[in-house]
Amino acid sequence: MDTLTGVEHLAEPDGFRDFVEARSSALLRSGWLLTGDWPSAEDLVQTALAATWPRWSSLRRQDAPELYVRKIMVNTFLRWRQRRWNGEIATGRLPETQAYDVFAQVDARQSLLAALDRLPARQRAVVVLRYFADQTESQTAEAMGCSVGAVKSHASKALARLRDAPGLAELMTGEVAS
Amino acid sequence: MNTEERKLADVLHRITPEPPRRVTVEQVAYRLVSEPKLGRQTRGRESAGPRPRRRGPVFSRALAPVMAAAAVVVIAGAGAGIAVLANSHHNPPPLAGGGSASSASSSASASSSPTQTSSSTQQTTSGTGVAGAPWDAKLIGHQALVQGTLVSADGSLYAIGNTSTLDRINPATGAVVASVPYNMPVWNPPVVVGNTVWEVSSYNGGNIVLQGYNARTLARTSSLLVPAIGAVSIGGQGVLTSGPDGDLYVAAGETVAVVNPAIPQEIHRIQVLAGKTSSVAVSPDGSKLYVGTGSSTSFRLVVFNLPSDTIANESTLTSGGAGGNLVATSGGVWGTTGSGHSEWVWFAPNGNLARAVQVGQGAGGGLSSFPSYSGGVVWVGGTGNVVCASPATGQVLAKADIAADHGVDQYFASPVVSAGQAYSYYQSDASQQTGLARMTPPAACTGNVSS
Repeated sequence: MDTLTGVEHLAEPDGFRDFVEARSSALLRSGWLLTGDWPSAEDLVQTALAATWPRWSSLRRQDAPELYVRKIMVNTFLRWRQRRWNGEIATGRLPETQAYDVFAQVDARQSLLAALDRLPARQRAVVVLRYFADQTESQTAEAMGCSVGAVKSHASKALARLRDAPGLAELMTGEVAS
Repeated sequence: MNTEERKLADVLHRITPEPPRRVTVEQVAYRLVSEPKLGRQTRGRESAGPRPRRRGPVFSRALAPVMAAAAVVVIAGAGAGIAVLANSHHNPPPLAGGGSASSASSSASASSSPTQTSSSTQQTTSGTGVAGAPWDAKLIGHQALVQGTLVSADGSLYAIGNTSTLDRINPATGAVVASVPYNMPVWNPPVVVGNTVWEVSSYNGGNIVLQGYNARTLARTSSLLVPAIGAVSIGGQGVLTSGPDGDLYVAAGETVAVVNPAIPQEIHRIQVLAGKTSSVAVSPDGSKLYVGTGSSTSFRLVVFNLPSDTIANESTLTSGGAGGNLVATSGGVWGTTGSGHSEWVWFAPNGNLARAVQVGQGAGGGLSSFPSYSGGVVWVGGTGNVVCASPATGQVLAKADIAADHGVDQYFASPVVSAGQAYSYYQSDASQQTGLARMTPPAACTGNVSS
């Protein structure tokens, strides 16, 4: 097995650390919305950043590192979902146990994740990219490798499904404390 | 954005919590060092845009997600002489007249049935070559299956189809000869006992439902509710298995339920007292029960003596996170730990994780890494190589490298063996080509070792 000794031989790209420190929180939150749990979100973000590292200089010149990271995240997420657990139907979610959370926050998060669990992987990815990561339709299309029309279609279908999601309507009307 | 979209965006921003910790550059560097293919996969692609389409006989991009999800590779024992059906942990040997699970092996021809749409005695398709594939792999067809669900029993293959079906496949032709709608609530390959294929049809909260299907027609024959004590694990990987006597073992919350499928009825309950059980395996001689539990950051393995239910050993693996896919052999237990790129397969002699060793390179890239015990040896596939290993010692008996396809990994899942041939998932994201293939493993993989 490899050990950490090899890290010494990797030259850290200029500006990479600043980017990771500045954006990892937002990327992790996107990962959480995609996967529904923090360990998977961390795995997703680490995977995307590791794939970005060798191309950092080129991406930075294009001023597109975050777009690329999100693209890797989404495609990795879609690959995960296509494989082992693509047949899994999320029907329940264990309660969070963070003692410092007020119950309303925990309920709201579970309602949100339960609503997202209703979506097929690509619709979920569009929701996260468009409405959380604030990507444009064309940026979302580029990240997902599809057309803008497909993004619109996924978004429309996702919104239709989310309308029927229990608990989400209350969240969207602000009836539940966040 | 319209009003509804703005409200949704607001909810997402408002409800999504801050992460408990940040990702560091050191963690990313470690990933690069420990998984160099992460860096390799991006070489030659200087644009952040979508990967350019390849010319040639490939699937359309629209079909890619479906086709990339799964494929099957047929690995022929052929001259290497994988002579008999595997006595796999997940695939008990065929039963003569639906009797004991310890009955003898069978050939492919024995699986013919009037209900089949094509006979398993048909001549095996010759196939077309796969560049860079191990052991002279040849594509012979295309299947869309969920990775890691392919098992063999009684001359047939069973798998979960990518379109929510339980399928029986003729190994000679690769054709699906029987199929039934089935939604997989938790990852688990089919478990064949006698003339019944068992699957988990519900795995939620405090209730587990097992469903039995006729092994030939896949008509549903029985259903059994198994209450869980404590909520079931949401990270189950291999929650249902069978013992050598044909009993079913189910990870049921903080317990393991033992079910006699002939009745069918629960006959015993084992308290684990080590958290939610997520994976189970029974040794080939029925003397040990291996139970995996754990969180997303550690994996705990508890070994029980059977039938006394006394704990023989407990050990923990903290380096790779959650685990599962347990497979028991004479020398110990095999499993997977980690997730996504960090998945790898280990062998723990006598079920002691403190002595666990890594076997094979794992798949990485979000592809499934898992061990399979079939044809008398343990197989571990992946993207770097495919190995067969001794079930007694964990020693790698043979290894074949998998060459990248234009710089992009090809994936060969851990094979299973049936009637002299072995089968595995295959896919290449570069060519978007998937399908059934055949290859010839070396004589070392014939299972002529004590298991």
